[in-house]
Parts: sequence; structure tokens; C-alpha cells
Amino acid sequence: MTMTMRLDDRLLEFLRRPLMCIIAGVDQTGRPSAGRGVGFNVLEDRTTIDLIFSGWQWPRLVSDIRQTGRLAVTFVSPADYVSFQLKGRADLSETEVPNADHAARFITAATDELQRLGVAPHVIAPWLTAQGARLARLSIQEIYIQTPGPHAGMMTGAEVR
Amino acid sequence: MSLRLSDLSACFEGVIPSIIATASADGAPNISYLSHVVRVDGEHVALSNQFFAKTAANVRANPKVTLMLVDGLTGDQFLLDISFVRSIDAGPLFDRIAGQLAASSAQVGMSDVMRLRSADVFRVRGIEKVPSPVAATAPAPRRAPVDLPALADAIRAIGRQAEAGAIIDSLLCGVQQVLGYANALVLIHDSHRQSLITTGSIGYENSGLGSEIVSAGGMIGAAAASGQTIKVSDMSRVRRFGEAIGLEAGATENTTRTVVFPQLPMAMSQIAVPMVTRGVVAGVLFIESTERLAFSEEDAAALDILAGQAANALRASEGEAAAAEAGHATATPEPAATETDIRIVCHRFDDSVFVDGVYIVKGVAGALLRLMIEWRLGEGRSEFTNREMRLAAGARMPEIKDNLETRLLLLRRRLDEKQAPIRVVRIGRGRVRLEAGGPLALTVRD
Repeated sequence: MTMTMRLDDRLLEFLRRPLMCIIAGVDQTGRPSAGRGVGFNVLEDRTTIDLIFSGWQWPRLVSDIRQTGRLAVTFVSPADYVSFQLKGRADLSETEVPNADHAARFITAATDELQRLGVAPHVIAPWLTAQGARLARLSIQEIYIQTPGPHAGMMTGAEVR
Repeated sequence: MSLRLSDLSACFEGVIPSIIATASADGAPNISYLSHVVRVDGEHVALSNQFFAKTAANVRANPKVTLMLVDGLTGDQFLLDISFVRSIDAGPLFDRIAGQLAASSAQVGMSDVMRLRSADVFRVRGIEKVPSPVAATAPAPRRAPVDLPALADAIRAIGRQAEAGAIIDSLLCGVQQVLGYANALVLIHDSHRQSLITTGSIGYENSGLGSEIVSAGGMIGAAAASGQTIKVSDMSRVRRFGEAIGLEAGATENTTRTVVFPQLPMAMSQIAVPMVTRGVVAGVLFIESTERLAFSEEDAAALDILAGQAANALRASEGEAAAAEAGHATATPEPAATETDIRIVCHRFDDSVFVDGVYIVKGVAGALLRLMIEWRLGEGRSEFTNREMRLAAGARMPEIKDNLETRLLLLRRRLDEKQAPIRVVRIGRGRVRLEAGGPLALTVRD
């Protein structure tokens, strides 16, 4: 039976920090793909999250989500490496236009934070683009602590049923 | 044109974290940051993966893996299609990865939690560059290639030198002329004090000659202990390992008997290259720069060649000095009685020597100075051979059979730098003269 996990208050608080976002898909042969997210929006039920990424920059992610719908996303706070990974089933929305405001806010916050940590702007620029933005709606089935250290890999979040 | 791993050298600096995507046997993807990726050869990379059991389990169940690398200079991203080959937990490759991990984890402030237990080796099957939204702008400046004819000249210059001081100076000159780095140190290993002692220096406000790094400490100690080059490419988030800035070197030396380690304010990159001869680490060449990612793989290779040549030359110099025959000792006329006594205080517990209240040196170099002063006062001569010093001090300090010349060099340079009224002058192969500007008054304390 498939579980559904709900983002608890602590995770929602974490998601308000300046973050980096990395996304993995997998194709039908089991080959994984990797890309970067540039925005997100937690839906009202807290069990679903919309992820925005550049389909222009990460075309394999687009085709993998279409092929298998399996998706993992890790959010990391660059200042202290606190990280969480969400896994589940995703649908690529063919109709909804990603919310440009979400992406713009995410990119600005991440860029400012990385610059504050000493990364040069010209180095950051290639990573964060909303060109050809796509929206993947993830139904969260698993949540893991991903912060390097003894708790890495432990499950967290609240089970819905 | 297809990309090769050697085109991605700035991705392996550990400055921008790499990303690994795996999938389980039943097709569930997993994605995490990686602490370090090492280029093994033209077709393989090795990953350190200390924490994430899921990643480790996935690569064993499903060897198909995608790796994202980021060029630390330009921010360009690359996707690598790789497959798991094997895991290693010992051997030269493991040691190399562990050494690089130690340095690179220090630069992201995670040295306390990074302990390499094993590393996974992967075969690279394909490399693709990720489209960049800023690709149309002017290309970022790349590092210049190493000038091989200039390197050959520098190697020959070191090889022409027979004396330890000239060898070390030639090495530092080569670093400056071939690679353009202005701040560099040569530290010589001292097993008596379990430390590395600064014996040559360019570019620092305070030369730091005589300053010490404990053999097990920091990247210099790690380079000496492992025999591996260790570099840090972005120190913007690292606390420097050196002593606190702002100490007045001269004032503290006289109370602490410790020379302050030289500091380059705003250093962003550092590299420690072991000076190896016949499998033995004789010292460490240390260079720093205010530029991020200053030291390319090519630079590291050139420095390795220069450091090895200097280590071989130093070894040959010790051998030649040891074989030199004693010359005819000349009697030393005692300076006129009207001249002021030069007060020399030696401390047995650390072999430290003070001249007119000024700290000069300790350890083997201090013991050698005391020996020469005692001979001068007892036998009325001021010229000495390496051979007799080796015989006299060797029982207590057996390691001087291999490094007497560099100890004498340190002594000479510290006396010169402190403008002491006594000097040790090299007068031929394996021979020195102790010169004094007045009568010597020696006090030996415990």
C-alpha cells in the first residue's frame, strides 16, 4: 500500500529558508537523471508540492517524469547543509504555467545566500534559470533527513495514513 | 567534440559540491550532494560517500548513476553517465582520496564530520555539458598552461646548486618565475622535534624562518605524513590554521621561543607539496595565493617536479658535505678585551639559544650553535666540519646524519635575520666558520 506523507510545521519552516533544490528522475531502463529546481509551492494539503525546473536545461528530467513518474527532490540550506529529501510520484503538468513569482523569489533568495557565502555571481548564474519552465506536481510518499551526519537517511515528516 | 575528463579539471577542486543521482533496483530515484569527487584517470572517477547508505545500496543494486559536476571557475555544469566498478578502503588511491577529502572538507567547514571509510570507483561512459543561460557572454578567464621550457630551466637551475641555501632559493625562484606565485615557504622535516621548520621563504612581511608546524597538524603536516599533495581552493569559509594575526613577532619570540608562522592576509588558495626523495619526505613546499582556485592540476604537477628535484639536490648536498675532509684549523685571535662581551644563553631542555637576549633558534640548529661556541671557547678555533659536528651531536640527535646542512642553513639565516653579533659562514663544502664581533660569554641552563 502506498503511504502518503505530510510536511509538518518544522519542514514548512525549513522550506521558508533560502534553499538550493536538486531533482532526480529515472527512465524505464533504470537510468537516473539529475537537475536543479528553481522554485516550488506547497499545496494546501501539505502532501503535494509543485516543483519548477527548466525544461530547456534539464530535458532528461522532462522525459523521465513522463516515462516513469518517479521523482526525488532534495532541498538544502547552503549556509549549514541542513537537507531534506522528498520522494514520490510526479506528474508533469502540460497545461499549468509555472508561477513565475515563485521561481523569481527562489532564484533571488538562493543567489543572495550563495553570494553571502562567498560564491561569485558569475559562477551561480548558470545554475538557476527558469527558461522553458516546467511544473512537476509531486505526491509525497517518503521524507528523509539528508543533512550530513549521523541522522542522514532517517525518515521524517508526518504519516497521513 | 566530445568532452573528456581532463577537460573538467576545475570540477575536481571540491569548491562547488557535486551531485549524485541513483536509482534503486525497483526504480526509485535518489539524489544527494557529494563531499568529494576525484579524477582517477582518463576514464574513471572515485566518489567518497560517507553518509548516505541509500546511495551506496543503490549503486550496488543498479550500477547506472548520473553525476553532476560543476566547474569551480565558471559555474558550468556537466552531467556524467557513470557506472559502479568497485569499492576501495585501502591503497594509494584510497590514501589520495582521503588526503584530498581532508583538505576539501576543511574548506567547507566540515572536517569534523568527514572521515573516509571507503570510496567507490566508477567508469565514465559519457559526459554532456548542461546548457547555460549565460553561455553567450564572454568566456571566463582560464588558467594559463604551465610553461614547460621555463620549468626545464628551473629544474636545471636547482640541479646546478650544491649548497642547501642555494637549492632552496632556486626552488622558490622557480615557483615565482615558472608559475608566478609570490608567496611560498620551504619547510624541512625535523624528526627530533616532530615538526616541519620553515627554512626558506619568499613574499611575506615576516619571513617566518624558524617557525614550526607540528608534523601531524594542518595541511602541511598532512602532506608530509601522507606524501601526497594537498590543496585548498577556496578558503572563503575556512578559518586559517596559522597563529593569530597581529602578534608582534619579535617581541613574542623572546618569551615563547616560537617564531610566528607567516601569514598571507586574504589567502584563498593554498597548496602543500611534499618534497620526496627515494620515498622519504624531506620537507614540504607550501604556496598560497589570494586567488580562488589558483592551483590547477598542471600547477600541482609542476610543483611536484620542482619539489622532487630540490629534495634530490638537498640529499646530494648532504652526502657531499658529509664526505668533505677536514681542512687545517686556523687559530682564532680573540677579539680585543675592550670589546663588549656577546652574551649567549643556551637552554638544555629545548636546545634554544639566545644571543644578547634575542631568541635565535632551538632544536638541532640550537645544539649545533652551542657546540661550535663551546669548541671555540675550549679549543680556540672557529672553523668546523660537518663531519665533526655529526660525530659530536649524532649520538643524541641521530637524524642529523641526513639533514645537518639544512639545520646549519636555518641557523645561518636566523643569525643573519636577527642581525646577531655572531655569524656562521660557509667556507667550503662541509665546512663553516663561526665569526663573532666580540668576546663570547656562554651560559648553559637546564
